[in-house]
Amino acid sequence: MSGAEHMVRFEQVAKRYPGGIQALGEVSFGLARGEMVFLTGHSGAGKSTLLKLIALLERPSRGRVLFDGRNVGRISRRQIPWLRRQIGIVFQDHSLLSDRRVFDNVALPLVIAGVAYPEIRKRVRAALDKVGLLEKERMYPPMLSGGQQQRVGIARAIVAKPPLLLADEPTGNLDPELSAELMQFFVSLNELGTTVLIASHDLDLIRRLQRRVLVLKDGALADDVPARQVAAP
Amino acid sequence: MSRRAGSQSGGVPWPGGVRAWARRHAYSLLSSLGALVRHPLATLMTVVVLAITLSLPTGLYMTLDNAERISDGWERLDTVSVFLDAEIEERGAVQLASLLSTWPGIVAVDPISPQAGMAELTGRLQLDDLAGRIEANPLPWVLEVTPAGGQDVETLSGRLRGAEGVDQVVVDLQWLERLSAILALLERLAVLLGVLFAVAVAFVIGNTIRMDIHNRREEIRVLALVGATDGFVRRPFLYSGFWYGLGGGLAAWLVVELSLFVLSGPVGRLSGTYASDFTLASPPWLVVATLVLGSGILGVLGAWLAVGRHLRAIHPS
Repeated sequence: MSGAEHMVRFEQVAKRYPGGIQALGEVSFGLARGEMVFLTGHSGAGKSTLLKLIALLERPSRGRVLFDGRNVGRISRRQIPWLRRQIGIVFQDHSLLSDRRVFDNVALPLVIAGVAYPEIRKRVRAALDKVGLLEKERMYPPMLSGGQQQRVGIARAIVAKPPLLLADEPTGNLDPELSAELMQFFVSLNELGTTVLIASHDLDLIRRLQRRVLVLKDGALADDVPARQVAAP
Repeated sequence: MSRRAGSQSGGVPWPGGVRAWARRHAYSLLSSLGALVRHPLATLMTVVVLAITLSLPTGLYMTLDNAERISDGWERLDTVSVFLDAEIEERGAVQLASLLSTWPGIVAVDPISPQAGMAELTGRLQLDDLAGRIEANPLPWVLEVTPAGGQDVETLSGRLRGAEGVDQVVVDLQWLERLSAILALLERLAVLLGVLFAVAVAFVIGNTIRMDIHNRREEIRVLALVGATDGFVRRPFLYSGFWYGLGGGLAAWLVVELSLFVLSGPVGRLSGTYASDFTLASPPWLVVATLVLGSGILGVLGAWLAVGRHLRAIHPS
């Protein structure tokens, strides 16, 4: 067993972008192993920045971000890939390669890890099946709707079975029914042991799922609501 | 076969072991070829530029190589002029000629009479009335001696000097020395051009890869997001550089062979007028291998320069 009880830990983390914009200031919280947490707040509150700091898409200006007990800010450039392979990320802008088929997009994390092709095939199809896009595997992302592209991004994030899943507005482009379905999917992933952190402003949905909620306001942690206190609608 | 408890996942440099490493390489190789095939026209244009660039020094090298082979032939045709004593008449000259032609190392002896010598001289100096103005022909009999191939001309002329009735032995090798000096100069020039053009090839490929990187910025970004190492991002570009270089080298070889083929007709007719059966030689395999592999390696080098610079710009500081 690893010594760190927290999957992710923020200790007085601040992030100031060049140009003086303060995105986060003095944020502290812990994300337990196997927990599912929602991150909410108005747009520009720093949700995306917080997620980026975990995956080292940005480095903190002050404070410490710990992943699995390791100070992410101290990780050298050469070790960034190691960190990113432990984290599945669903991006707001999908970040898919438009000139690669859906199958190849989802396969990327496995290809990078050097997994054998038959295994890649099996796992990519399983991931696409879970997000309901198996029949689209030979299509190119621009041929799909925004919601479908979002689901391709989710399939890519989970295909390598990372211990931590980060999602930035994963239901932003989806209709309510599909949103609920996807959230349920994240819940089932979490029940299988994946730690999940989802940035979302879909408050109705969040309330229904009754999980811990972190509320960001102007770059500071305004509230940390434990799961049992989240009121069902 | 029993499978041991897999490869250590903790090993950072080679995660997943040798087979995973080989799979990643295979992927890079295929994806680099795929990228080139997806843009056939751009690839072709780059390869043509490289082919022309590489064919110039190679062509010059082949020209020199062939010129040296011709001049080797000339050296054998070179003759030694043996000037006989003035008092030796026709009979003595012919006797000495037949004696010398039995010497080993001598292929032929051709006696030239004073009259023939005078006629040649007046012709060469364009002094038509020279013979008329000189009362007695001052020229002696001359024997034109053709040494055998491989015969050291210096030794032979020494022995000829010792023969009875011989006044002077003249070996006119100066023009050959000049020729070989010119060839040596051109050879040095070829080496110089070769180096310059090699640098040009590396930079042409580096620049092409730079544009590739620019066009595939988004792909590089996404690869980095999902955990690709710098090596993984870099590798397809290095392979592309290698393919460009290899393609350029092969095409340059083709250009040189085609040029030799086109020139072979005229060269054959020209050498025919010299009663020679000289033909242009194709580049030897060592030269072809150096050209093709060398330009491949230059491609990798150029690509490395371009990728190294741009990778640094991608990651957050």
